[in-house]
Amino acid sequence: MKMIKKCLVSLSLLAFLMPMASLVQAGKYVKWHSDGSVDLIMEDGTVIPTSSDELGGLFGQGEKPFKGAKITVTVNAGGPKGGISGPLYSFRPIWEELSGGKLEIVELPFGEHYTKMMLDLRTGTGQYDAFMVGAFWYGDIVPNGYAFQVDDLIASGDYPKWSYDSMPESLKQLHTWGGKGYGVLNDGDGQVLYYRRDALSDPKWRKQFKQEYGYSLPVPPKTWQQMLDISKFFNGKNWDNKDSKPDSGTVLHLKVGEQGHYHFQSLSASFAITPGPKLDRYHNVYWFDPTNMKPMINSPGHLAALEFLHELHKTGPSAQVGWSLGEAWDYFLRGKSVFVFSWGDVGSLCQDTSRSKIQGVCASSILPSSDTYYDHQSGKFVKTDNPQKVGNTTGGSWHGVISNFSANPEATFSFLSLMAIKPASSWLANNGWTGVDPGFKYQFLSPQGEGELGDFLDAGWNEADVKDYLNAYYENFFAKTSMTYLRIPGTFEYWDILDKNLSASMSGEISAKQALDSTAKSWEQVTDRLGRDKQLEYYKSAIGYK
Amino acid sequence: MNMHRRTKVRFLFILPAVFWVLIFTLFPLCYSLYISFHKVENRLNVTREKVPILDQEGNPVLSKAGKPRTRTNIIREKISIWTNVGFTNYKRLWGDPQVASAVKVTTIFVLTAVPIQLILGLLLAILFNRRLWGRSMLRTIMILPIFATPLAVGYLFFTIFYEVGGPLGFLGIPFLSKPGWALFSVILVDIWQWTPFCFLVFLAALQGIPEELMEAAKMESKSKSGLFMNIIFPLLTPTIIIVLLLRLAEAIKLFDIPYALTGGGPGVATQSMSFLAFRTGLRYFDLGYASAISYCLLIVVMIIVTLFFRQLRENYA
Repeated sequence: MKMIKKCLVSLSLLAFLMPMASLVQAGKYVKWHSDGSVDLIMEDGTVIPTSSDELGGLFGQGEKPFKGAKITVTVNAGGPKGGISGPLYSFRPIWEELSGGKLEIVELPFGEHYTKMMLDLRTGTGQYDAFMVGAFWYGDIVPNGYAFQVDDLIASGDYPKWSYDSMPESLKQLHTWGGKGYGVLNDGDGQVLYYRRDALSDPKWRKQFKQEYGYSLPVPPKTWQQMLDISKFFNGKNWDNKDSKPDSGTVLHLKVGEQGHYHFQSLSASFAITPGPKLDRYHNVYWFDPTNMKPMINSPGHLAALEFLHELHKTGPSAQVGWSLGEAWDYFLRGKSVFVFSWGDVGSLCQDTSRSKIQGVCASSILPSSDTYYDHQSGKFVKTDNPQKVGNTTGGSWHGVISNFSANPEATFSFLSLMAIKPASSWLANNGWTGVDPGFKYQFLSPQGEGELGDFLDAGWNEADVKDYLNAYYENFFAKTSMTYLRIPGTFEYWDILDKNLSASMSGEISAKQALDSTAKSWEQVTDRLGRDKQLEYYKSAIGYK
Repeated sequence: MNMHRRTKVRFLFILPAVFWVLIFTLFPLCYSLYISFHKVENRLNVTREKVPILDQEGNPVLSKAGKPRTRTNIIREKISIWTNVGFTNYKRLWGDPQVASAVKVTTIFVLTAVPIQLILGLLLAILFNRRLWGRSMLRTIMILPIFATPLAVGYLFFTIFYEVGGPLGFLGIPFLSKPGWALFSVILVDIWQWTPFCFLVFLAALQGIPEELMEAAKMESKSKSGLFMNIIFPLLTPTIIIVLLLRLAEAIKLFDIPYALTGGGPGVATQSMSFLAFRTGLRYFDLGYASAISYCLLIVVMIIVTLFFRQLRENYA
């Protein structure tokens, strides 16, 4: 009798549990729920909730739409926890389980990535299916037919769903060419100003500053000129008591062959761009005269900006002429400088207490503007009491572009798209180590966007820091005036020439004027070599000149 | 007949070597010469078509929504346009400030690093060519730098010369941030790495001088400097010329150390000719011009090598 009872209990338990079990079909990295929701589970247990619908028509429970396919994606070297490269590792097991395919990640040093990509494309080797590119590479890959257009794949609804519409216009332009989509949403790059909230709001320093400079210390500084004053004021003082040594005003990353020239680009925008209601020959242009492709890089506005950068450089460690991003960022994170202007990575790294001593006092704002700009039409400098904020998309906005030599473009697209769906993209932006910076509408906090403060706090952000940070990026990407982005054939070469000349100037080898004149001269040669008329057409198209 | 056949067989044995030289030396040499007279443009024309995905039985594969699945078939047409530009790339060399700067950097580097390596190597060889406590151990330590990859050495010294917080940071010397100092740092690293090579060869040459000759010379010569100048140095001269030749040929091709240590900067302060050729060819993909730069470098190296060999032949043949 007892035996029969036990059997009955066991059977009824089984009968109860069976349907429960069918509600959740668990793989190791993907859990399908019967209500259509899906959990994407990372190696560390982090769960990204999504839905069957959001994952598109191909991925499904038990489906392995790309079984046997092997795809290879290149990325700037950073390792499994590095910026931009890290997310590929995080999403790899998930995609492999969903698709049945295999992903190989090829990490290439920043300085060699472009070279390896171009060699692969020019020779037609087809070793790589996709590249996590900087947007400034577009000019060399899209017009030459190397990039795979993705609009029809997006429209099919078969792949994880994301949209160019979630990007601000300034970023959308970087992922498209001639109105057609090539890039898959990932990162939003732009430089903003980071400053020490504690130092700038300290009554003792504020009083001293006012006595010395005759005006109240503005927080944040609205103009570059104010920022220079503040930087000079703090430089050499031990305002941060974390060590006994004097601290600096502004730290810069100026190493040649790296990303020093970006400092100049974003700083000089408000000196060299003549603001206006529309883009024409004189207004809102920065790189070349859109009527004849003559370089504007040595205009008096650009020169004033470079001379200003020299002044700013004096308020930081002299060794920064040889510093890459990492060294400059660490200097700021260790509490050694009041300012750094750089990418979104800094804001999120501030929150990483294993590397940063400044969580909670790491404030951000849109870059200051110059109180004086050069009017290209009148040929004169104009001083203004109300300088216009100039946004920028300086940097790479690193994202995936599929090679036209890929044997598996659809599989590759499905992987890149998986990282681009809203919950994945939000998670990437919330977690600083990923190197994915915010820029998409759902990543900003209400009322600017749909982002949740709680998600950022859960990821370890300080509330004041994250509010400043997201606001700074929102203002930057949605600014009325924005610096145009150069992405024409040869951009890598144009920028490399600029970089070398800037570095020579910053190290004192040549003057600011010599550096910019030399850049302009070399740019002319590049333009002539690549074909002036062709370059002009690409340039006009890239900046939207009509 | 038999003799004739043997001669033919002999040729068969050297065929692999001939093949190797043709493929890996002559072909690239001729190909790059050809490129240097051309402007090369590559592009890809692409047409796409959607084709249905079929299973093993030839039936269309359906998506989970029941739609027939398709894949994109990319039809590629590679286009490579070679425009003959004559001597344009060679003419560009004369007016290019980058080339002028790279020539200057390479010349300063070669004229500084190589003589110092030779002198230091010789002095060390003389020092080690006598009874010395722990000589074999010291000799082993001395030659270790030769075995390191120049690129790794460059990165190693990058950490040593790191100006804020590096082991030499207390000196306050702008090793990498000032143009003059950066070039000095590159020279210093090269000396560190290649002096042991000179030392090793000189030491072998010194130890190869017959004992009886040295004994006789010691009896003849009163001073040590006289012994060195009149006996040892003349005996070492062929070795010195060979080492000088090898080091010059290597030093002119300077690339790895500035690549890792300074990135060619600040500005172009440590950008050598090879570095410039690399940058032009593999960063800007201006292959014609990069080949022209490389050819100029090759010609300079060939002139130096020829002069040295002629000198050697005249004096010691």
